[in-house]
Amino acid sequence: MFKKLLIANRGEIAMRVNRAAHELGIETVAIYSEADKASLHVRNADRSFCVGPGPVARSYLNIPNIISAALISGADAIHPGYGFLAENARFAEICADHGLTFVGPAPETIASMGDKATAKAIMAAANVPTTPGTDILPSVRDALDAASELGYPVMLKATAGGGGKGMREVRTPEELEHAFATAQAEAEANFKDGRLYMEKLIERPRHIEVQIMGDSFGNVVHVGERDCSVQKPSHQKLVEEAPAPHLSDKTRAKLHDVALSAARAVRYGSAGTLEFLASGDDVYFMEMNTRIQVEHPVSEMLYGVDLVKEQIRVAAGERLSWDQKSLVPHGHAIECRINAEEAANNFAPAAGTLTDVALPGGFGVRVDSHAYAGLAVPPFYDSLLAKIVAHGATRDEAIDRMDAALGDTHIAGVNTTVDICRTIMRDATFRRGGFGIDFLPSLSLRSAVAASP
Amino acid sequence: MNWTQTLERVRSAAEFCASAGLTRFRIDEDELAIEVRRAPRRAASALAAGRGDAVALESAPHSANGASAPGERPATVLKAEFVGIVRLSRPAVGAGTVLAEDRELAYVESLGIRNPVRSGGPGRISAVFVNDGEPVGYGQPLFEIESGR
Repeated sequence: MFKKLLIANRGEIAMRVNRAAHELGIETVAIYSEADKASLHVRNADRSFCVGPGPVARSYLNIPNIISAALISGADAIHPGYGFLAENARFAEICADHGLTFVGPAPETIASMGDKATAKAIMAAANVPTTPGTDILPSVRDALDAASELGYPVMLKATAGGGGKGMREVRTPEELEHAFATAQAEAEANFKDGRLYMEKLIERPRHIEVQIMGDSFGNVVHVGERDCSVQKPSHQKLVEEAPAPHLSDKTRAKLHDVALSAARAVRYGSAGTLEFLASGDDVYFMEMNTRIQVEHPVSEMLYGVDLVKEQIRVAAGERLSWDQKSLVPHGHAIECRINAEEAANNFAPAAGTLTDVALPGGFGVRVDSHAYAGLAVPPFYDSLLAKIVAHGATRDEAIDRMDAALGDTHIAGVNTTVDICRTIMRDATFRRGGFGIDFLPSLSLRSAVAASP
Repeated sequence: MNWTQTLERVRSAAEFCASAGLTRFRIDEDELAIEVRRAPRRAASALAAGRGDAVALESAPHSANGASAPGERPATVLKAEFVGIVRLSRPAVGAGTVLAEDRELAYVESLGIRNPVRSGGPGRISAVFVNDGEPVGYGQPLFEIESGR
């Protein structure tokens, strides 16, 4: 097992990893930016290093300073958390070059899954169902030909994309030229790679993903699926739950099997997630995330296992401590992301100082958060303040428990998503379950109509 | 950004600093940080701290408002720009050491690279905040120096 782990992240996930490491008897080293000096993740670690000023390019993405901090503190491994350097294959290689274990999959796996077109080709070869689509499209002409072959509506996507950037829905040939140019420019600006490909648009799909965990001995298990269909217009998730409601046993079993064959196809040896679009009984592979995800606590609560501890253990060369049979889901779990955002203003990020923070607790409620009263929320980073997870014997109980927990949540100083999450818990469509990713945009529309005189 | 543009930006930062009566002015961007420092009773001096520079300069609080008493020298805190191990250069300076001219006070060893920390001119060391061989983080104070002869 590792002796000392450097956590190359901030906020709640840095604290989550810090806890897992301490439970395993591993000393921790935190890194922070000048804007995060007063952050809880710094206080909880055994040691810490400032690695740069606020902007991420000079701090949380400052590879030389991060590696140097690991080396001078005597760390033997680096956990990247999610975001920042978590899916940076070059960083994983640099860690290895300096004798540091990167807690995650092999660099080649990160690289191949990070390129959406390559990932899709690998998955298709492993008989994983993928959305009908094209290879990289060199020109608008090729895009027009491809779209007429696939049939409208289609989706243009950036091969280096993520977070909804470089993505355009196209319903008619007339829209295509403009959409192609703007998606290309957006991808170029965000990822320095403007290459686009096209997929058939699955109308109002559900977003269902499967958690997997593998070790370096070739063992792989799935830890069930999560339904993440409550998404902001930017395709960022807001509420996640497990198991996915109203999914036939046949489809559920198919999803799990497909995820396992996908993981085996890339000899996956860490925690990862396969994201699918589901429509009726059809499931289509969308992408693989080669990191621990924000919403991993949903699966942890459902299965009663610690995914981060296991991820660290397998990175240290240990065997998976579970087999598929030992993983049994119990009840239902829901997570709400409490972000510093203005829900009424298209979820625009809010910065400021938290003047009051009271977070919920009690039976079946878990809170992962770095927020405290007095904390200044810097403008440089992700807006996530807290993840509230409610577990119940049934989906209804989990929803009621979440509703009550949100009622016990008091955050002042910045706008948050507490109220919108509460509206969602009380919404009839949400309570029925099984809706598509158009749920939240249409809910916002309904609320806006209801609020207007 | 090319060199001409960088220098142009340093120049306008220096002019702004002087016209606004500031002693220190800093712009921090992803790729470039420009810091301009104006010593009282001296010509404006400018320092562009790119990613490759080892130190950042900052006026010490007591002189930051430019209201130092006549005869008092401006104090500057030299800070680490790299995460690494600090190695004091020999002969090692201590509080009270007088420097006749610019010299290397230490270097920060980071990933095998020596990043020098220089006094930037003559002066008197008023404080040393680190020990030889100590690990330092970004922005950690290393020396305080009162510049001038």
